[in-house]
Amino acid sequence: MESEDDIDMHDANNESGEDDFYSGGDDDAGAMAAYDDSDADVADYEFIDNDSDDSDDLVSHRYQQNYTVLSEVDICQRQEDDIMRISTVLSISKVEAGILLRYYNWSVSKVHDEWFADEERVRRSVGLLEKPVVPFPDGREMTCGICFETYPYDRLHAAACGHPFCNSCWAGYISTSINDGPGCLMLRCPDPSCAAAVGQDMINVLASDEDKEKYFRYFIRSYVEDNRKTKWCPAPGCDYAVDFILGSGSYDVSCRCSYGFCWNCTEEAHRPVDCGTVAKWILKNSAESENMNWILANSKPCPKCKRPIEKNQGCMHITCTPPCKFEFCWLCLGAWSEHGERTGGFYACNRYETAKQEGVYDEAEKRREMAKNSLERYTHYYERWATNQSSRQKALADLQQMQTVHLEKLSDIQCQPESQLKFITEAWLQIVECRRVLKWTYAYGYYLPEHEHAKRQFFEYLQGEAESGLERLHQCAEKELQVYLNAEGPSKDFNEFRTKLAGLTSVTRNYFENLVRALENGLSDVDSHGASSRMGSSKSLGGGSSRGRSGKAKGSTSRSSGSSRNIDDSGHWSCEYCTYANVKSAAICQMCQQRR
Amino acid sequence: MANSNLPRRIIKETQRLLSEPAPGISASPSEDNMRYFNVMILGPTQSPYEGGVFKLELFLPEEYPMAAPKVRFLTKIYHPNIDKLGRICLDILKDKWSPALQIRTVLLSIQALLSAPNPDDPLSENIAKHWKTNEAEAVETAKEWTRLYASGA
Repeated sequence: MESEDDIDMHDANNESGEDDFYSGGDDDAGAMAAYDDSDADVADYEFIDNDSDDSDDLVSHRYQQNYTVLSEVDICQRQEDDIMRISTVLSISKVEAGILLRYYNWSVSKVHDEWFADEERVRRSVGLLEKPVVPFPDGREMTCGICFETYPYDRLHAAACGHPFCNSCWAGYISTSINDGPGCLMLRCPDPSCAAAVGQDMINVLASDEDKEKYFRYFIRSYVEDNRKTKWCPAPGCDYAVDFILGSGSYDVSCRCSYGFCWNCTEEAHRPVDCGTVAKWILKNSAESENMNWILANSKPCPKCKRPIEKNQGCMHITCTPPCKFEFCWLCLGAWSEHGERTGGFYACNRYETAKQEGVYDEAEKRREMAKNSLERYTHYYERWATNQSSRQKALADLQQMQTVHLEKLSDIQCQPESQLKFITEAWLQIVECRRVLKWTYAYGYYLPEHEHAKRQFFEYLQGEAESGLERLHQCAEKELQVYLNAEGPSKDFNEFRTKLAGLTSVTRNYFENLVRALENGLSDVDSHGASSRMGSSKSLGGGSSRGRSGKAKGSTSRSSGSSRNIDDSGHWSCEYCTYANVKSAAICQMCQQRR
Repeated sequence: MANSNLPRRIIKETQRLLSEPAPGISASPSEDNMRYFNVMILGPTQSPYEGGVFKLELFLPEEYPMAAPKVRFLTKIYHPNIDKLGRICLDILKDKWSPALQIRTVLLSIQALLSAPNPDDPLSENIAKHWKTNEAEAVETAKEWTRLYASGA
């Protein structure tokens, strides 16, 4: 009975809505309505990014609601609109409105609040003077406060404060400030006792063209960088910015340049793992990955003390350094004392070959994985994280190749319109997304406390399921498709392939939905009470987990994945196209609609 | 020489520094480089530096007055905002520089810094710590250093 409960828990999870993977429409709409900032501008710019074509459907329908991708034109337009609004409402010049907005980090509502609370104070701190603090020279000539030269009245300039400086000193002052960086946007009068702001109008009159251009760049950048709601896309060479509706759920955004990143921490998209874990993991990797790569490629752990050993001389007889001093064979990692004539001579080891055939070393491998050695533990997760990373890169390249070359070719060979081949693109998009999620689950796994056995087991189970589903899908999209690509003419079983791949795509998506959902609520479906029973009695869960772990489960599987309540195999049939486990009563696969 | 195209501002400042020196401060340009000044500042009364004569060097970079002058103590001094190389931690020599400031204002500010050390914004960590934990003792050390290094000038 106890194990029943566990299973219910897991299944309830599955049933809670197949369609709202990544919490689609409703949640976000709700969050948006709740977003009650008086920055009403948000509404004006919704869904600018909705021009994505159908093939992006998979991506766009998940994300479109809580952020907007902005081009430079969009950014300028918004900035201009905000400035206009403030200028109109506060009855100040556009230049002053720009200075004011910049000071309050481009928050229209903040400007309103501060201004109407205490205009006097705002004017003082921002440097917007209503009248000059010194009378502008009434004589014909004045001495510039910087170069000490005397100039006629019309060769001098002053900010709103009235402190006069000559045009060339102004140009030098402005130029120095602009070349010093974005601080030029908050330029003040050169007089040390004066706080009067120097705005764009004076820049336009007094600065060189080159400096004006730089100032303009800083002005635009500031609108993105100092604004709480916008960030640049971190992809190299990308000019887009992303405007995000704060408090609207998932931070994962996808730029128009196709790079997916986390808006919160600007690392690459890492849902369902939180930013803190990602930061820790990346830091750890940067400190250790180089070492780790080298150690993996060049060393084996001593079978006795587990310290990594580099083989830097020719023969297979290895002696570990003191205090261990264990003598062993590099090939079979067995004690050297057992080697000799029997094992094929001192400098060869047939034990290795035999043992490899018998699969003994898989056992040894597993044992080592189990060891609590922290280096090994880290290596375990790092390897898998990195492998999925490169696998995703490869999949992205394959997707690209598919879209630019193969689909057209396939369309010709199989006499199918390209619109009928969309399922292939969808499969690849799913693979790319799943590799990303899977990758980050390894960072998650690394930080999941060892003692939370139930959570670990549930996590590894879900991860294993998702992983093996993904392997099947990837295999199908990569290998099986080749047959049809290389065919001379139309293949009669192409439609079956379509059904299978579409089915696998859909099943894999379900697996990952479960995984993402479970990790996002902190595996809260499992409590410590359920742990012991799961450990004790739920054998099939453990089985699923370890098989998933290997990531190589092949062929038909009868693992329940959704509607089924039974975890054991009896009473289910596995669809031979998509491998979905259907309930006994169903004559048609619930996933891919193929007949039994 | 480079002095021939010296900006008028520097010439004017130099003239004024020589004709109306600020109390306790003297600054005179080097003979072969009009941008390089030999400076003396008298230790302010009621400060641990009282009675000392402190030598400094001041250099006006090419960008002056858009960029701040470079100033350094040549006389050893025990002060939380001055390090053992004589470098000075003073805002107007860095981000708070304005072209409307002058050599005179800079030197007056340095003089004021001698009267009012600021151990909360230290350049010399050890001295600042000394100042904060045992000000009386730190002041004694400063007086001692003044006697040792700044009196024979």
